Amino acid sequence: MEISLSKATEGKFKVSKINGGENLLKKLSSLGIYEGTEAEKILSYHHGPVVIKVLNSQVAIGRGMAEKIIVKKL
Amino acid sequence: MKIILVGNPNVGKSVVFSYLTGYTAISSNYPGTTVDILKGKANLCGYDCEVVDVPGCYNLEGENIAEKVAGEIIKEKNYDFIFNVVDANNIERNLLLTLQLIKIGKPMILLLTKTDIAKNKGIEINYKMLEEISGIKVFPVVATAGIGFDHLEKEIKEIFEKSEIANPKFEIPQDDIEKWKIIGEITSKVQKITHKHPSFLEKIELITTTPITAIPFALIVIATSFGIIRFIGESLINYILDPLFNSYYMPLIEKLASHFQDGLFKQIIFSANIAPLEGFSVLTTGLYVPFVVVLPYVFSFYIVLSLLEDIGYLPRLAVILDRVSHKIGLHGYGSIPLIMGLGCKVPGIFSLRILESKREKMIAASLMFLISPCMPQTAMIFSILSKYPLIYTIIVLLYIFFVGIIASFFLNKVIKGEANDLFMEIPSYHKPVFKNLIFKLKIRTREFLLDAIPFVIGGIFLINLLDIFSVLNFISKFFGPIFSKVFSLPVETSTIVMLGFLKKDVAITLLTPFNLSLKDLMVSCFFLVAYMPCLASIFVLFRELGKKITFYVLGFNLLVAMIFTFLFSLILEIFI
Repeated sequence: MEISLSKATEGKFKVSKINGGENLLKKLSSLGIYEGTEAEKILSYHHGPVVIKVLNSQVAIGRGMAEKIIVKKL
Repeated sequence: MKIILVGNPNVGKSVVFSYLTGYTAISSNYPGTTVDILKGKANLCGYDCEVVDVPGCYNLEGENIAEKVAGEIIKEKNYDFIFNVVDANNIERNLLLTLQLIKIGKPMILLLTKTDIAKNKGIEINYKMLEEISGIKVFPVVATAGIGFDHLEKEIKEIFEKSEIANPKFEIPQDDIEKWKIIGEITSKVQKITHKHPSFLEKIELITTTPITAIPFALIVIATSFGIIRFIGESLINYILDPLFNSYYMPLIEKLASHFQDGLFKQIIFSANIAPLEGFSVLTTGLYVPFVVVLPYVFSFYIVLSLLEDIGYLPRLAVILDRVSHKIGLHGYGSIPLIMGLGCKVPGIFSLRILESKREKMIAASLMFLISPCMPQTAMIFSILSKYPLIYTIIVLLYIFFVGIIASFFLNKVIKGEANDLFMEIPSYHKPVFKNLIFKLKIRTREFLLDAIPFVIGGIFLINLLDIFSVLNFISKFFGPIFSKVFSLPVETSTIVMLGFLKKDVAITLLTPFNLSLKDLMVSCFFLVAYMPCLASIFVLFRELGKKITFYVLGFNLLVAMIFTFLFSLILEIFI
């Protein structure tokens, strides 16, 4: 099932789509987040940012941005 | 030999830099930006080197200011060698930048940092194999303890002489996603991870990021920080700087002044009233404000800030505050200047540099002045209202906060645009390195001395001229009726308030002789806090954001202060 990163439950996921322009794609890709990345959602703040673990480091992603990242739970 | 140090943020680049340069660096502003670059000299095996600490970046094509500056410096190729600093704890993420650097085609080496922490986490890196695949010399180091640098010293001569350009065993693709695929392959070959139980620091990391425990923890951290800042700041003022100024410096100046004949020249230099904070003499107030009033708080502030920064707590605070910050048009990192402003506005204004857009800077600057009094002011509000029950002090502080929130909602609606989304790495916690802390403190204090103090002194000189030519008097007279009619305060208080921006907390105590009623005290406390930032912050704001924004911020503040003082006065009239 595909769901936005902001709504996904904690645990491992795979990025299936990023709904954003070139700038967003580049920004996310700098930290290793692109279509096909496997990562783990660690926690999220209610209506706030999401924290994921990708490439062995923790990354905080603002709510708006997390909504644009569509993931598939693994 | 000119060397640039390049790496991702939080890889320990600044520790490597301090080690190489022996803590003698000088920070300077990158032309046309608010990004500071550190430069220093190092001697490596007889080679005199100039080392430049390039701002941390993940990508040479990055969008934010620091990354743009980094990209520019690297692409200019105005250097001989790249030292790529890579965190051994996540080489996979770091290697994207490394591949981009190889493509630049300059000689480079790779410094693998934090190898001690990586080892404890069960990460093993076959750096010989990494060397083979990438075609770059790899030096594992523990920069905090200076381990591994002897190895570098030994080989650097040969490396400098050869100045070889890296020749990797693979083609580097143009596209980042293709690069990630190659990086994945390299990492799986050179890195082996054995699972270990989470260490003490890792457990703390989880506790301080999981919402339910993180929020109370953040409150404790903030409260403790302010306690420490106030203690250090006040002690420096009361026991060292103020006595030094009054017992040693003032007699000299008074003696000097007595040699001059009364007249315009004497007034310009010594002002009508030579006493510090009572007149506008450049030689007394002009030095007292920046060195005795502001410097101690800036200094104590930077001690605490640098400590929190080195431990790695600030990004976590930004995550916790992100949601609230969005409501007022900032993202999580934008609230950090606000929090700093609770201590002292001056470092708060400096920290506005971390914000990307003009919009965010403007909102944060206005809020910083409105939402909360600075530390000395808070103390004075407590003391002047101390003869009444505590509840009244709390009402004043809550009202200030309330007005700040209202104003910010308004600004967020009125100024076009939207807050950027938070997007950042949350680094692991680190034990702070004492020497590095001192070094940072030195650089920041020097920056304050050079960037802020001339502005404050110049400003006081200017105000003295305004005073001599009766402009101040005119302004006081102009505001007098507003005070009596609109805020229903005694007319005489207007003079105090007008002069209050020299040192706002003192202005609050100067109200004591007027025997104001409780209501009048509360109203004037609020107005004094909100109507205008103190002199030091006005001039620092001017330096950082330019005259247009400073003008808007001050105008907005004054307007908000007048409207809400009037309302406050009405409300209190009904209840008290």
